[in-house]
Amino acid sequence: MNAVARVLDITGETCPMTWVKTKLELERMAPGEALTVLCRPGEALENVPRSAAEAGHDVVRDGTTIRIVRA
Amino acid sequence: MSDRRGFFGAAVRAGLGAPTSPPPPTAGLSDAELERYSRQLVLPQWTEAAQLALREASVLVVGAGALGSPVATYLAGAGVGRLGIVDHDDVEVSNLHRQPLHFTPDVGVPKAHSAAAKLGYLNPAVVIEPYQASFNAAMLEGHDLVVDCSDSFETRYAVNAACCAERIALIEGGVTGLSGMVMAIRPGESACYRCAFPDAPPPGSVPSCAQAGVLGPAAGVLGSLQALEALKLLAGLEGALTGAFLQVDLADLGFLRVAVSRREDCPDCATL
Repeated sequence: MNAVARVLDITGETCPMTWVKTKLELERMAPGEALTVLCRPGEALENVPRSAAEAGHDVVRDGTTIRIVRA
Repeated sequence: MSDRRGFFGAAVRAGLGAPTSPPPPTAGLSDAELERYSRQLVLPQWTEAAQLALREASVLVVGAGALGSPVATYLAGAGVGRLGIVDHDDVEVSNLHRQPLHFTPDVGVPKAHSAAAKLGYLNPAVVIEPYQASFNAAMLEGHDLVVDCSDSFETRYAVNAACCAERIALIEGGVTGLSGMVMAIRPGESACYRCAFPDAPPPGSVPSCAQAGVLGPAAGVLGSLQALEALKLLAGLEGALTGAFLQVDLADLGFLRVAVSRREDCPDCATL
């Protein structure tokens, strides 16, 4: 796994573009690579981790930061 | 024929605005494309690569009627880069119950042009090429896939033979009354239409749409299935209806998948 994770800022997006942009970023990554997603409080903070977990990725939420390891 | 371009031609002159020309494609998907296609991009099966493959694709839709209306609508909406629309007929008022790309003010307008006008408004990024003509094999040049939405066995066999000769993927379909069929074909890899149906029915033995009638939603279901299968082949999704055809009877909602093998003596695809 990479020590330095990719960072994606979706604080300016609304649902479902929050997950669309996260999903497409994950598609560009190799399995095992980590993505740090900067989110804002609200719907996306619930939906993005859930969608990522449903897609089979490992997900850890820390405040408004979501860390996803690509499956 | 008072107005070649029909309803939308009048709308343009009334100042309702014309489709804007698409910006040159970027390497990846633009923000506008992400938004337009977001509800398919969120699907687990649909990736950015699938969307880009669609944008690069060129599809020929043979027939702009009952099947061609949903097919062209969904393919344009989904973001197929280039759509050729073939139809030699004009819009008639008796078409309108089952051909939702055409409106009452379009009566008398060539179907290919009536369809192209609507599709341009639906998705200005798609290059729409109307052909007011009957199908001929030369039209296949440059296309990656053909969706046969014609209404005669003669055309269906001609399209199948031409697609086999050029090894162009084909989605066959037909509808009459409340039933129909759909079949996805990769020439040289899976059974073709003539493998499944070696002999055309004798002329006059199968009633035409005008004689037998058809319900609009039944045509919509079959056309939608054709569009779905086209998207599967273009985007490389699993579960395409190759090596089989789907027999659909909407009177009792029966769907029967019938496996079909390639025929060694098929005049269209045996030598591929």
